[in-house]
Amino acid sequence: MTLTATGVSRVFDDTPILKDVSLTVEPGEVLTIVGPSGTGKTTLLRTLACFEPPDAGTIHWHDTDCWGASKADRLAVRRRMSMVFQEPSLFNASVRRNVTYGVRVRRQWRERARHFVRDLTGGSSTPESVRRALETVGLEDAADRNARSLSGGEAQRVAFARAVAVDPAVMFLDEPTSNLDPRNTAVIEAAIDRACDRGVGVLVATHDLHQAERVSDRVGFLFDGELVELTDPATFFDDPDDPRTARFVHGELVYAEGDDDLARAARR
Amino acid sequence: MTSAPLLFVDGGWTYLVSIIVVSMTVSVTAICLSTLFGIPVALAIGFTDFPGKRVVTAVINTGMGFPSVVVGLLVLMVLSNSGPLGSLDLAFTPEAMIASQFVLATPVLMSVSLSAIEGVNEPVRDAAYAMGGTRVDVALVVIKEARYGIVTAILAGFGRAISEVGSILIVGGNIVFSDGTSYTRTLTTAITVEARQGRYEVGLVLGVVLVALVLAVNALGSWIRSKGRGRGTP
Repeated sequence: MTLTATGVSRVFDDTPILKDVSLTVEPGEVLTIVGPSGTGKTTLLRTLACFEPPDAGTIHWHDTDCWGASKADRLAVRRRMSMVFQEPSLFNASVRRNVTYGVRVRRQWRERARHFVRDLTGGSSTPESVRRALETVGLEDAADRNARSLSGGEAQRVAFARAVAVDPAVMFLDEPTSNLDPRNTAVIEAAIDRACDRGVGVLVATHDLHQAERVSDRVGFLFDGELVELTDPATFFDDPDDPRTARFVHGELVYAEGDDDLARAARR
Repeated sequence: MTSAPLLFVDGGWTYLVSIIVVSMTVSVTAICLSTLFGIPVALAIGFTDFPGKRVVTAVINTGMGFPSVVVGLLVLMVLSNSGPLGSLDLAFTPEAMIASQFVLATPVLMSVSLSAIEGVNEPVRDAAYAMGGTRVDVALVVIKEARYGIVTAILAGFGRAISEVGSILIVGGNIVFSDGTSYTRTLTTAITVEARQGRYEVGLVLGVVLVALVLAVNALGSWIRSKGRGRGTP
Protein backbone atom coordinates (compact mmCIF):
# COMPACT_ATOMS: atom_id res chain seq x y z
CA MET A 1 0.00 0.00 0.00
CA THR A 2 1.20 3.47 -0.90
CA LEU A 3 1.12 6.79 0.91
CA THR A 4 0.33 9.57 -1.53
CA ALA A 5 0.57 13.29 -0.88
CA THR A 6 -0.97 15.52 -3.55
CA GLY A 7 -0.46 19.28 -3.64
CA VAL A 8 0.11 19.55 0.11
CA SER A 9 0.53 23.10 1.44
CA ARG A 10 0.89 24.43 4.99
CA VAL A 11 0.75 28.03 6.14
CA PHE A 12 1.70 29.40 9.56
CA ASP A 13 0.84 33.01 10.41
CA ASP A 14 0.41 33.84 6.71
CA THR A 15 3.87 32.39 5.94
CA PRO A 16 3.81 29.43 3.55
CA ILE A 17 5.85 26.56 5.01
CA LEU A 18 4.99 23.86 2.47
CA LYS A 19 4.13 24.73 -1.11
CA ASP A 20 2.22 22.26 -3.22
CA VAL A 21 4.26 19.19 -2.26
CA SER A 22 3.39 15.94 -4.03
CA LEU A 23 5.10 12.63 -3.42
CA THR A 24 4.49 8.94 -2.80
CA VAL A 25 6.08 6.52 -0.37
CA GLU A 26 6.07 3.02 -1.82
CA PRO A 27 6.32 -0.16 0.26
CA GLY A 28 9.90 -1.28 0.87
CA GLU A 29 11.56 1.92 -0.36
CA VAL A 30 13.57 4.57 1.45
CA LEU A 31 12.64 8.05 0.31
CA THR A 32 14.94 10.67 1.73
CA ILE A 33 14.07 14.34 1.88
CA VAL A 34 17.11 16.57 2.21
CA GLY A 35 17.28 20.30 2.57
CA PRO A 36 18.68 23.09 4.72
CA SER A 37 17.42 23.65 8.26
CA GLY A 38 14.10 25.46 8.52
CA THR A 39 13.01 24.48 5.05
CA GLY A 40 9.91 22.57 6.16
CA LYS A 41 11.16 18.97 6.44
CA THR A 42 9.71 18.41 9.93
CA THR A 43 6.42 20.07 8.97
CA LEU A 44 6.22 17.79 5.93
CA LEU A 45 6.75 14.67 8.02
CA ARG A 46 4.24 15.78 10.67
CA THR A 47 1.68 16.54 7.99
CA LEU A 48 2.18 13.19 6.24
CA ALA A 49 1.99 11.42 9.63
CA CYS A 50 -1.46 13.02 10.16
CA PHE A 51 -0.43 15.22 13.09
CA GLU A 52 -2.14 18.22 11.53
CA PRO A 53 -4.24 18.60 8.39
CA PRO A 54 -2.75 20.33 5.35
CA ASP A 55 -4.14 23.77 4.46
CA ALA A 56 -4.43 22.58 0.88
CA GLY A 57 -3.97 19.23 -0.86
CA THR A 58 -4.69 15.68 0.22
CA ILE A 59 -2.94 12.76 1.87
CA HIS A 60 -4.11 9.31 0.86
CA TRP A 61 -3.24 6.01 2.43
CA HIS A 62 -4.07 3.56 -0.34
CA ASP A 63 -7.60 4.80 -1.19
CA THR A 64 -8.37 6.45 2.18
CA ASP A 65 -8.28 10.24 2.21
CA CYS A 66 -6.74 10.74 5.67
CA TRP A 67 -8.46 14.06 6.44
CA GLY A 68 -11.68 13.31 4.56
CA ALA A 69 -12.12 10.04 6.46
CA SER A 70 -13.81 9.53 9.82
CA LYS A 71 -11.77 9.84 13.01
CA ALA A 72 -11.80 6.06 13.41
CA ASP A 73 -10.54 5.52 9.86
CA ARG A 74 -7.84 8.14 10.35
CA LEU A 75 -6.78 6.43 13.57
CA ALA A 76 -6.59 3.14 11.67
CA VAL A 77 -4.35 4.83 9.08
CA ARG A 78 -2.20 6.43 11.78
CA ARG A 79 -1.74 3.03 13.33
CA ARG A 80 -0.14 1.80 10.11
CA MET A 81 2.49 4.52 10.60
CA SER A 82 5.16 5.30 13.16
CA MET A 83 7.65 8.08 13.65
CA VAL A 84 11.08 8.71 15.13
CA PHE A 85 11.97 12.26 16.10
CA GLN A 86 15.30 14.05 16.21
CA GLU A 87 15.13 13.90 20.02
CA PRO A 88 14.37 10.40 21.31
CA SER A 89 11.44 11.67 23.50
CA LEU A 90 11.25 8.53 25.60
CA PHE A 91 8.81 8.06 28.45
CA ASN A 92 10.04 7.95 32.05
CA ALA A 93 9.75 4.17 32.20
CA SER A 94 11.80 1.10 31.38
CA VAL A 95 13.09 0.43 27.88
CA ARG A 96 10.63 -2.46 27.59
CA ARG A 97 7.66 -0.24 28.56
CA ASN A 98 8.78 2.34 26.01
CA VAL A 99 9.12 -0.14 23.18
CA THR A 100 5.85 -1.85 24.09
CA TYR A 101 3.91 1.46 24.10
CA GLY A 102 2.63 1.33 20.51
CA VAL A 103 1.65 -2.31 20.93
CA ARG A 104 -0.24 -1.47 24.13
CA VAL A 105 -2.28 1.40 22.69
CA ARG A 106 -3.35 -0.79 19.79
CA ARG A 107 -5.06 -3.23 22.16
CA GLN A 108 -8.74 -3.03 23.03
CA TRP A 109 -9.43 -1.47 26.46
CA ARG A 110 -10.49 -4.78 27.99
CA GLU A 111 -7.30 -6.43 26.78
CA ARG A 112 -5.28 -3.47 28.05
CA ALA A 113 -6.87 -3.83 31.50
CA ARG A 114 -6.04 -7.54 31.51
CA HIS A 115 -2.41 -6.85 30.58
CA PHE A 116 -2.27 -4.07 33.19
CA VAL A 117 -3.34 -6.48 35.93
CA ARG A 118 -0.88 -9.07 34.62
CA ASP A 119 1.89 -6.43 34.72
CA LEU A 120 1.06 -5.63 38.35
CA THR A 121 1.21 -9.29 39.31
CA GLY A 122 4.47 -9.76 37.42
CA GLY A 123 2.95 -12.22 34.97
CA SER A 124 3.43 -10.18 31.79
CA SER A 125 5.51 -11.38 28.89
CA THR A 126 7.27 -9.29 26.25
CA PRO A 127 5.47 -9.39 22.88
CA GLU A 128 7.46 -11.06 20.11
CA SER A 129 7.53 -7.89 17.97
CA VAL A 130 9.04 -5.96 20.90
CA ARG A 131 11.71 -8.59 21.45
CA ARG A 132 12.55 -8.52 17.74
CA ALA A 133 12.66 -4.71 17.69
CA LEU A 134 15.06 -4.63 20.64
CA GLU A 135 17.27 -7.21 18.93
CA THR A 136 17.25 -5.11 15.76
CA VAL A 137 18.82 -2.18 17.60
CA GLY A 138 21.05 -4.37 19.77
CA LEU A 139 19.41 -3.47 23.08
CA GLU A 140 17.80 -6.76 24.09
CA ASP A 141 19.87 -6.79 27.30
CA ALA A 142 18.79 -3.25 28.25
CA ALA A 143 15.06 -4.01 28.39
CA ASP A 144 14.80 -3.51 32.15
CA ARG A 145 16.87 -0.33 32.33
CA ASN A 146 15.13 2.99 32.80
CA ALA A 147 15.01 4.86 29.51
CA ARG A 148 16.18 8.09 31.17
CA SER A 149 19.44 6.41 32.20
CA LEU A 150 20.49 5.66 28.61
CA SER A 151 23.09 7.50 26.53
CA GLY A 152 21.84 9.65 23.62
CA GLY A 153 22.68 6.96 21.07
CA GLU A 154 21.03 4.19 23.06
CA ALA A 155 17.95 6.35 23.63
CA GLN A 156 17.58 7.00 19.91
CA ARG A 157 17.94 3.27 19.24
CA VAL A 158 15.13 2.64 21.74
CA ALA A 159 13.00 5.28 19.95
CA PHE A 160 13.67 3.44 16.69
CA ALA A 161 12.78 0.09 18.29
CA ARG A 162 9.54 1.64 19.63
CA ALA A 163 8.64 2.71 16.08
CA VAL A 164 9.51 -0.69 14.55
CA ALA A 165 7.76 -2.77 17.23
CA VAL A 166 4.28 -1.82 15.98
CA ASP A 167 5.03 -3.44 12.62
CA PRO A 168 4.29 -0.25 10.65
CA ALA A 169 3.67 -0.02 6.92
CA VAL A 170 5.31 3.43 6.77
CA MET A 171 7.93 4.96 9.05
CA PHE A 172 8.79 8.64 9.27
CA LEU A 173 12.28 9.39 10.53
CA ASP A 174 13.01 13.03 11.31
CA GLU A 175 16.78 13.58 11.44
CA PRO A 176 17.08 10.21 13.20
CA THR A 177 20.87 10.21 13.47
CA SER A 178 21.78 13.89 13.60
CA ASN A 179 22.97 13.68 17.22
CA LEU A 180 24.58 10.25 17.00
CA ASP A 181 28.11 8.95 16.65
CA PRO A 182 29.04 6.76 13.66
CA ARG A 183 28.54 3.48 15.55
CA ASN A 184 24.96 4.31 16.60
CA THR A 185 24.27 5.78 13.15
CA ALA A 186 25.37 2.47 11.59
CA VAL A 187 22.98 0.54 13.87
CA ILE A 188 20.05 2.78 12.87
CA GLU A 189 20.88 2.62 9.16
CA ALA A 190 21.14 -1.19 9.30
CA ALA A 191 17.76 -1.24 11.06
CA ILE A 192 16.30 0.97 8.29
CA ASP A 193 17.59 -1.56 5.72
CA ARG A 194 15.99 -4.44 7.60
CA ALA A 195 12.67 -2.60 7.87
CA CYS A 196 12.68 -2.02 4.11
CA ASP A 197 13.45 -5.67 3.48
CA ARG A 198 10.22 -6.44 5.34
CA GLY A 199 8.31 -4.10 3.01
CA VAL A 200 8.13 -1.02 5.23
CA GLY A 201 8.14 2.28 3.34
CA VAL A 202 10.54 4.70 5.04
CA LEU A 203 10.56 8.47 4.68
CA VAL A 204 13.71 10.05 6.13
CA ALA A 205 14.23 13.77 6.59
CA THR A 206 17.88 14.70 6.95
CA HIS A 207 20.44 17.32 6.05
CA ASP A 208 23.16 14.65 5.94
CA LEU A 209 23.84 14.12 2.24
CA HIS A 210 26.15 11.17 2.91
CA GLN A 211 23.40 9.39 4.74
CA ALA A 212 20.97 10.16 1.93
CA GLU A 213 23.42 8.62 -0.53
CA ARG A 214 23.88 5.51 1.65
CA VAL A 215 20.29 4.63 2.47
CA SER A 216 18.01 6.06 -0.24
CA ASP A 217 16.09 4.53 -3.11
CA ARG A 218 14.87 8.01 -4.05
CA VAL A 219 15.97 11.43 -2.86
CA GLY A 220 14.00 14.67 -2.76
CA PHE A 221 15.28 18.21 -2.21
CA LEU A 222 12.96 20.39 -0.16
CA PHE A 223 13.86 24.04 -0.47
CA ASP A 224 11.87 26.89 1.00
CA GLY A 225 8.86 24.58 1.41
CA GLU A 226 8.96 23.44 -2.20
CA LEU A 227 9.95 19.95 -3.36
CA VAL A 228 12.22 21.09 -6.17
CA GLU A 229 13.75 17.68 -6.98
CA LEU A 230 12.63 14.09 -6.51
CA THR A 231 14.63 11.45 -8.29
CA ASP A 232 16.94 8.44 -7.92
CA PRO A 233 20.19 8.93 -5.97
CA ALA A 234 22.47 8.71 -9.02
CA THR A 235 20.66 11.51 -10.84
CA PHE A 236 20.22 13.53 -7.65
CA PHE A 237 23.90 13.58 -6.79
CA ASP A 238 25.42 13.60 -10.31
CA ASP A 239 23.00 15.37 -12.58
CA PRO A 240 20.09 17.06 -10.79
CA ASP A 241 17.54 19.05 -12.79
CA ASP A 242 17.27 22.03 -10.48
CA PRO A 243 20.31 24.33 -10.11
CA ARG A 244 19.53 24.84 -6.40
CA THR A 245 19.82 21.07 -5.88
CA ALA A 246 23.17 21.08 -7.63
CA ARG A 247 24.42 23.92 -5.43
CA PHE A 248 23.23 22.15 -2.26
CA VAL A 249 24.80 18.85 -3.35
CA HIS A 250 28.09 20.62 -4.04
CA GLY A 251 28.14 22.02 -0.55
CA GLU A 252 27.25 25.59 -1.39
CA LEU A 253 25.30 27.46 1.24
CA VAL A 254 21.79 27.90 -0.10
CA TYR A 255 19.27 30.00 1.76
CA ALA A 256 15.54 30.14 1.56
CA GLU A 257 14.03 33.24 -0.02
CA GLY A 258 13.50 35.91 2.57
CA ASP A 259 16.13 34.46 4.86
CA ASP A 260 18.01 37.76 4.56
CA ASP A 261 19.08 37.80 8.21
CA LEU A 262 20.73 34.41 7.79
CA ALA A 263 22.42 35.48 4.56
CA ARG A 264 23.68 38.71 6.14
CA ALA A 265 24.97 36.88 9.22
CA ALA A 266 26.81 34.36 7.02
CA ARG A 267 28.47 37.11 4.98
CA ARG A 268 29.84 38.86 8.09
CA MET B 1 -17.36 25.39 75.49
CA THR B 2 -15.35 23.96 78.42
CA SER B 3 -11.73 24.57 79.22
CA ALA B 4 -9.46 21.76 78.12
CA PRO B 5 -7.83 19.58 80.76
CA LEU B 6 -4.05 19.53 80.94
CA LEU B 7 -2.25 16.82 79.05
CA PHE B 8 -0.79 13.85 80.94
CA VAL B 9 -3.56 14.09 83.61
CA ASP B 10 -7.06 12.66 83.52
CA GLY B 11 -8.57 12.98 80.05
CA GLY B 12 -5.50 14.69 78.60
CA TRP B 13 -4.74 12.01 76.08
CA THR B 14 -8.37 11.73 75.05
CA TYR B 15 -8.37 15.48 74.42
CA LEU B 16 -5.16 15.29 72.37
CA VAL B 17 -6.28 12.28 70.35
CA SER B 18 -9.68 13.83 69.60
CA ILE B 19 -7.97 16.99 68.33
CA ILE B 20 -5.64 14.97 66.08
CA VAL B 21 -8.60 12.94 64.78
CA VAL B 22 -10.59 16.10 63.98
CA SER B 23 -7.55 17.75 62.34
CA MET B 24 -6.77 14.72 60.19
CA THR B 25 -10.40 13.97 59.31
CA VAL B 26 -11.08 17.53 58.20
CA SER B 27 -7.81 17.98 56.28
CA VAL B 28 -7.83 14.54 54.62
CA THR B 29 -11.48 14.93 53.57
CA ALA B 30 -10.81 18.45 52.24
CA ILE B 31 -7.78 17.30 50.28
CA CYS B 32 -9.63 14.30 48.84
CA LEU B 33 -12.35 16.65 47.57
CA SER B 34 -9.70 19.10 46.30
CA THR B 35 -8.00 16.27 44.42
CA LEU B 36 -11.24 15.05 42.87
CA PHE B 37 -12.03 18.57 41.70
CA GLY B 38 -8.59 20.12 41.15
CA ILE B 39 -6.73 17.45 39.19
CA PRO B 40 -9.35 17.03 36.42
CA VAL B 41 -9.61 20.83 36.11
CA ALA B 42 -5.81 21.17 35.97
CA LEU B 43 -5.71 18.46 33.30
CA ALA B 44 -8.43 20.19 31.28
CA ILE B 45 -6.55 23.51 31.48
CA GLY B 46 -3.21 21.84 30.72
CA PHE B 47 -4.55 20.04 27.67
CA THR B 48 -6.56 22.74 25.99
CA ASP B 49 -5.77 26.12 24.54
CA PHE B 50 -8.54 28.64 25.01
CA PRO B 51 -8.77 32.41 25.10
CA GLY B 52 -8.08 33.64 28.61
CA LYS B 53 -6.03 30.61 29.62
CA ARG B 54 -3.29 32.86 31.00
CA VAL B 55 -5.86 34.78 33.05
CA VAL B 56 -7.30 31.55 34.48
CA THR B 57 -3.79 30.34 35.35
CA ALA B 58 -3.00 33.71 36.97
CA VAL B 59 -6.22 33.50 39.03
CA ILE B 60 -5.30 30.00 40.24
CA ASN B 61 -1.80 31.16 41.17
CA THR B 62 -3.23 34.16 43.00
CA GLY B 63 -5.55 31.81 44.89
CA MET B 64 -2.47 30.19 46.43
CA GLY B 65 -1.84 33.31 48.46
CA PHE B 66 -5.45 34.09 49.30
CA PRO B 67 -5.77 35.32 52.93
CA SER B 68 -7.31 32.50 54.93
CA VAL B 69 -9.36 34.75 57.23
CA VAL B 70 -11.07 36.24 54.19
CA VAL B 71 -11.89 32.74 52.95
CA GLY B 72 -13.21 31.87 56.41
CA LEU B 73 -15.36 35.00 56.46
CA LEU B 74 -16.81 34.30 53.01
CA VAL B 75 -17.51 30.63 53.79
CA LEU B 76 -19.18 31.63 57.09
CA MET B 77 -21.31 34.22 55.29
CA VAL B 78 -22.46 31.57 52.82
CA LEU B 79 -23.15 28.97 55.51
CA SER B 80 -24.59 31.23 58.23
CA ASN B 81 -28.34 31.26 58.90
CA SER B 82 -28.85 34.33 56.74
CA GLY B 83 -26.53 33.04 53.96
CA PRO B 84 -27.59 31.24 50.77
CA LEU B 85 -26.76 27.82 52.25
CA GLY B 86 -27.98 28.68 55.76
CA SER B 87 -30.73 26.05 55.62
CA LEU B 88 -28.08 23.33 55.60
CA ASP B 89 -27.15 24.37 59.16
CA LEU B 90 -23.44 23.82 58.57
CA ALA B 91 -21.92 26.84 60.33
CA PHE B 92 -19.56 25.87 63.18
CA THR B 93 -19.34 22.22 62.10
CA PRO B 94 -16.45 20.10 60.79
CA GLU B 95 -18.20 20.21 57.37
CA ALA B 96 -17.81 24.00 57.31
CA MET B 97 -14.11 23.58 58.12
CA ILE B 98 -13.80 21.08 55.27
CA ALA B 99 -15.40 23.64 52.94
CA SER B 100 -12.98 26.40 53.91
CA GLN B 101 -9.95 24.09 53.70
CA PHE B 102 -11.16 22.93 50.29
CA VAL B 103 -11.27 26.55 49.09
CA LEU B 104 -7.76 27.20 50.43
CA ALA B 105 -6.09 23.95 49.33
CA THR B 106 -7.57 23.66 45.83
CA PRO B 107 -5.60 26.54 44.23
CA VAL B 108 -2.34 25.17 45.70
CA LEU B 109 -3.10 21.70 44.41
CA MET B 110 -4.22 22.95 40.99
CA SER B 111 -1.30 25.31 40.53
CA VAL B 112 1.40 22.74 41.37
CA SER B 113 -0.24 19.96 39.34
CA LEU B 114 -0.85 22.32 36.40
CA SER B 115 2.82 23.23 36.26
CA ALA B 116 3.71 19.51 36.44
CA ILE B 117 1.30 18.73 33.59
CA GLU B 118 2.54 21.62 31.47
CA GLY B 119 6.12 20.60 32.27
CA VAL B 120 5.71 17.35 30.33
CA ASN B 121 7.59 18.04 27.11
CA GLU B 122 5.73 18.51 23.87
CA PRO B 123 7.97 15.86 22.20
CA VAL B 124 6.79 13.25 24.73
CA ARG B 125 3.15 14.06 23.85
CA ASP B 126 4.08 13.91 20.15
CA ALA B 127 5.75 10.55 20.63
CA ALA B 128 2.59 9.11 22.23
CA TYR B 129 0.50 10.45 19.36
CA ALA B 130 2.96 9.27 16.71
CA MET B 131 2.88 5.76 18.13
CA GLY B 132 -0.86 5.55 17.44
CA GLY B 133 -2.17 6.99 20.68
CA THR B 134 -5.58 8.65 20.85
CA ARG B 135 -6.16 11.89 22.79
CA VAL B 136 -6.99 9.75 25.84
CA ASP B 137 -3.75 7.79 25.43
CA VAL B 138 -1.75 11.02 25.16
CA ALA B 139 -3.51 12.34 28.30
CA LEU B 140 -2.67 9.14 30.18
CA VAL B 141 0.98 9.45 29.16
CA VAL B 142 1.06 13.05 30.40
CA ILE B 143 -0.53 12.06 33.73
CA LYS B 144 1.97 9.26 34.09
CA GLU B 145 4.91 11.53 33.24
CA ALA B 146 3.62 14.17 35.67
CA ARG B 147 2.71 11.66 38.39
CA TYR B 148 5.40 12.76 40.84
CA GLY B 149 4.42 16.41 40.40
CA ILE B 150 0.75 15.56 40.90
CA VAL B 151 1.44 13.66 44.13
CA THR B 152 3.61 16.57 45.28
CA ALA B 153 0.68 18.89 44.54
CA ILE B 154 -1.65 16.80 46.68
CA LEU B 155 0.86 16.83 49.53
CA ALA B 156 1.37 20.59 49.19
CA GLY B 157 -2.40 21.06 49.38
CA PHE B 158 -2.53 18.87 52.47
CA GLY B 159 0.27 20.91 54.06
CA ARG B 160 -1.73 24.10 53.42
CA ALA B 161 -4.88 22.51 54.91
CA ILE B 162 -3.43 20.93 58.06
CA SER B 163 -1.52 24.06 59.09
CA GLU B 164 -4.51 26.34 58.51
CA VAL B 165 -5.75 28.49 61.46
CA GLY B 166 -7.67 31.65 60.53
CA SER B 167 -10.49 30.36 58.38
CA ILE B 168 -11.27 27.23 60.44
CA LEU B 169 -11.30 29.33 63.59
CA ILE B 170 -13.98 31.50 61.98
CA VAL B 171 -16.11 28.77 60.38
CA GLY B 172 -15.52 26.00 62.96
CA GLY B 173 -15.71 28.04 66.15
CA ASN B 174 -12.99 26.01 67.95
CA ILE B 175 -15.59 24.01 69.90
CA VAL B 176 -14.98 21.15 72.37
CA PHE B 177 -17.68 18.91 73.85
CA SER B 178 -18.53 19.05 77.55
CA ASP B 179 -16.57 15.79 78.05
CA GLY B 180 -13.45 17.63 76.93
CA THR B 181 -13.13 16.07 73.46
CA SER B 182 -12.90 18.09 70.28
CA TYR B 183 -15.82 18.89 68.00
CA THR B 184 -14.29 21.55 65.75
CA ARG B 185 -11.01 22.15 67.56
CA THR B 186 -7.92 21.26 65.54
CA LEU B 187 -4.23 21.20 66.42
CA THR B 188 -3.76 24.75 65.17
CA THR B 189 -6.81 26.29 66.82
CA ALA B 190 -6.06 24.39 70.06
CA ILE B 191 -2.60 25.97 70.12
CA THR B 192 -4.15 29.44 69.92
CA VAL B 193 -6.39 28.61 72.93
CA GLU B 194 -3.55 27.13 74.98
CA ALA B 195 -1.29 30.08 74.24
CA ARG B 196 -4.00 32.57 75.15
CA GLN B 197 -4.59 30.77 78.47
CA GLY B 198 -0.90 30.58 79.27
CA ARG B 199 -0.67 26.76 79.10
CA TYR B 200 2.43 26.81 77.03
CA GLU B 201 3.52 23.22 77.73
CA VAL B 202 0.24 21.87 76.33
CA GLY B 203 0.56 24.23 73.36
CA LEU B 204 4.09 22.99 72.80
CA VAL B 205 3.03 19.33 72.78
CA LEU B 206 0.31 20.17 70.25
CA GLY B 207 2.87 22.13 68.25
CA VAL B 208 5.29 19.20 68.22
CA VAL B 209 2.54 16.89 66.97
CA LEU B 210 1.59 19.38 64.24
CA VAL B 211 5.19 19.94 63.16
CA ALA B 212 5.76 16.16 63.12
CA LEU B 213 2.75 15.75 60.84
CA VAL B 214 3.88 18.53 58.49
CA LEU B 215 7.46 17.17 58.50
CA ALA B 216 6.20 13.68 57.67
CA VAL B 217 4.21 15.05 54.73
CA ASN B 218 7.18 17.11 53.49
CA ALA B 219 9.53 14.15 53.85
CA LEU B 220 7.12 12.06 51.82
CA GLY B 221 7.00 14.83 49.19
CA SER B 222 10.81 15.05 49.01
CA TRP B 223 11.09 11.30 48.67
CA ILE B 224 8.55 11.26 45.85
CA ARG B 225 10.30 14.16 44.08
CA SER B 226 13.69 12.43 44.34
CA LYS B 227 12.14 9.24 42.99
CA GLY B 228 10.75 11.25 40.09
CA ARG B 229 14.17 12.70 39.28
CA GLY B 230 15.73 9.26 39.34
CA ARG B 231 14.29 6.00 38.09
CA GLY B 232 10.76 5.79 36.78
CA THR B 233 8.55 2.77 37.20
CA PRO B 234 9.59 -0.13 35.02
